[in-house]
Amino acid sequence: MADGEFNSEVWTERYRPKKFEDMVGQEEVLKRVKALTNSNNIPHLLFAGPAGTGKSTLALIVVHQLFGESWRENYLELNASDERGIDVVRQKVKDFARTKAIGNVPFKVIFLDEADALTREAQQALRRTMENYTSTCRFILSCNYSSKILDPIQSRCVVFRFQLLEKKDIKRRIDLIARNEGLTITPEAFDVLHESSEGDCRRVINLLQATSSISPNITPDLINTIVARAKPSDIKIVLDYALAGDFNGARGKLLDIMLKESISGQDVIKAIQKEIWTLPIDNSLKVRLTEKTGEIEFRLVEGSDEFIQLESLLASFVLAGEGKSTTLGGV
Amino acid sequence: MINQENMPWCEKHRASCFADVKGQELAIDKVKLFLRSFPKKKSVILYGGPGTGKTSLAYAIAFEMDAEILELNASDLRDKQKIAEIIGPASQQRSLFRKNKIILVDEVDGISGSDRGGLGELLVVIEKTAFPVIITANDIWQQKFGLLRQKAEMVQLKDVDYKVVLTLMDDICRKENIVVSRDILTSIAIKARGDIRAALNDLQILSKMDSPQLIREIGERNKEQSIFAALQYVFKNSKIDDKMTKIYDEVNMPIDEIFLWVEENIPTEYKGEELFKAFEALSKADVFRGRIMRQRHWRFLVYENFFLSGGIAGVKKYNRAGWTSYKKPTRILKIWLQNQRAKKKKTICEKFAKHTHISTKQAMKDWLMIRILLKGDDIRKRLKISDEEIEYLEKPLAV
Repeated sequence: MADGEFNSEVWTERYRPKKFEDMVGQEEVLKRVKALTNSNNIPHLLFAGPAGTGKSTLALIVVHQLFGESWRENYLELNASDERGIDVVRQKVKDFARTKAIGNVPFKVIFLDEADALTREAQQALRRTMENYTSTCRFILSCNYSSKILDPIQSRCVVFRFQLLEKKDIKRRIDLIARNEGLTITPEAFDVLHESSEGDCRRVINLLQATSSISPNITPDLINTIVARAKPSDIKIVLDYALAGDFNGARGKLLDIMLKESISGQDVIKAIQKEIWTLPIDNSLKVRLTEKTGEIEFRLVEGSDEFIQLESLLASFVLAGEGKSTTLGGV
Repeated sequence: MINQENMPWCEKHRASCFADVKGQELAIDKVKLFLRSFPKKKSVILYGGPGTGKTSLAYAIAFEMDAEILELNASDLRDKQKIAEIIGPASQQRSLFRKNKIILVDEVDGISGSDRGGLGELLVVIEKTAFPVIITANDIWQQKFGLLRQKAEMVQLKDVDYKVVLTLMDDICRKENIVVSRDILTSIAIKARGDIRAALNDLQILSKMDSPQLIREIGERNKEQSIFAALQYVFKNSKIDDKMTKIYDEVNMPIDEIFLWVEENIPTEYKGEELFKAFEALSKADVFRGRIMRQRHWRFLVYENFFLSGGIAGVKKYNRAGWTSYKKPTRILKIWLQNQRAKKKKTICEKFAKHTHISTKQAMKDWLMIRILLKGDDIRKRLKISDEEIEYLEKPLAV
């Protein structure tokens, strides 16, 4: 593709595997899911594993295999992290499950992505819903951590664990895309693609497509340009303000970043916790601050207003900036 | 840096001459009389409720006299030495560039009567000065101002009639090139209760919003009076007694809103260690609030209330003097404004998320990458991106 030409499709979709054989990695999972699908009667499934390892792709393949052309009528995709509460999920499931499946397969399939975003209470409700419609519907749930899914739900599903894709597997997909799109990718460039995407295949492909919008000759420099352009603002700036004693500056910046980049309090805490060790302060302070960060992460779950909790954490960074470790210990 | 764009309208459109100070004809006449008879009395006190035009009138005096303003705020006045340094010599020297000079002491209520004698110093200055001393005050009838009142000409600024506020807002709407319905302007004017600054602030906020029904959010002024009093009590007193723990009972607003007021104003009152401890208390209050929500265990309300009042008050060792002007919480408004601005972003992300089988939340996080991917007509057509959304995508800093 020449410079300045644009794509007509998002590559993660254009190159999403359509058959079991197209998928890379997850050999064991594939073998078993394929066998279940071929029997035309799947149980409820739970796909657990990191992002970008093929959970949604496999769910779609199952559905395509089962229903062929009429898959759209028999398939409902929901994302738990987007639905406002379990009631919405139940209503949608109810509406969808009311009518009988079209075709040879006696059930419909509901794919509930990011099921671990549901609270315990919501999962309890989901469990009853799964039972109520078990004669007409099969659920495929996906999550990052199966430990966040209630036992009674897990026991109703066949659980499949997805592993992070190996580098060579991702390379196979990337090579295929490069051939089709007329790209040249140096080995170094592939390394950069892989590293900056943390082994998440979806992100690797997105990054590749974005880079190709500059030039078909993919180089590490080019990739880094895109990475820099798509890089979210650094939480470190917030800590810099706080350590310099400017509390208002710090909280203003924090709100700004959280709003503009749509990141949650949990994301912020994670970033702060990683950042502490790079800060120019005493080791003893780092220990105290890490302890405090852990405490605030706990309160984030217990409390009701994430921002207040984060402000409280920022206030302790202000103190740390003044070198006061003793006060930080306890109040 | 302040540019004209985000400058508060009450500053941007501040009156510059007597004719611009609306609704205070009587006060202006009295001021004129005072200036003509100067130095029979050397000082004038402009007093009245917030936003009635005291500071504007002071600036207008300077303009009419072609005088330079030497302004002192409350914290300068608390310092005896500073007063002696600044006002002492300055009031006896003629300005280099202009013939005249006036000394402006804005918000004299800020001076404490007892500590470090700022008030006494001010009286000395009035005694010695060669230039008019203009003093503004919300409440001048406190006992400690007795002597000051005798030395100065008293000029009251009355609460501005809502019709005057209305004409003023009309004028500003024309200058800012915005259209707001008559009903809404009137309701802002009435709700302001004679406070021009409040009215202009509300108008400015409203002008940034798509939906004028948000006027309800802006709320009534007297609600603020009660929260001011409560905050004053919590932030100035250190003793935790019965009154302290029940202080928010008298505030006519939901507790969640009180949280926001406290949160916004902690840094105005506390620094360093006190700031840390106050936020620690607020954080704990919030944890109990979360537990109440989740477990419906209303007994926890006691603890929530305690940390929000006594917990915040108790972080300081001594009572605190002085008067602080508390700020209205801005966080919720900022979130709302950002959501308005990012409406298009949200709808684009919804389309992208559906198309690529990811959550909208994930798409929002990947926004900067998605912007790069959504270049060119074909891909936009495939995802059914609308013209308005394309316009948003093309904006250089659509975040």
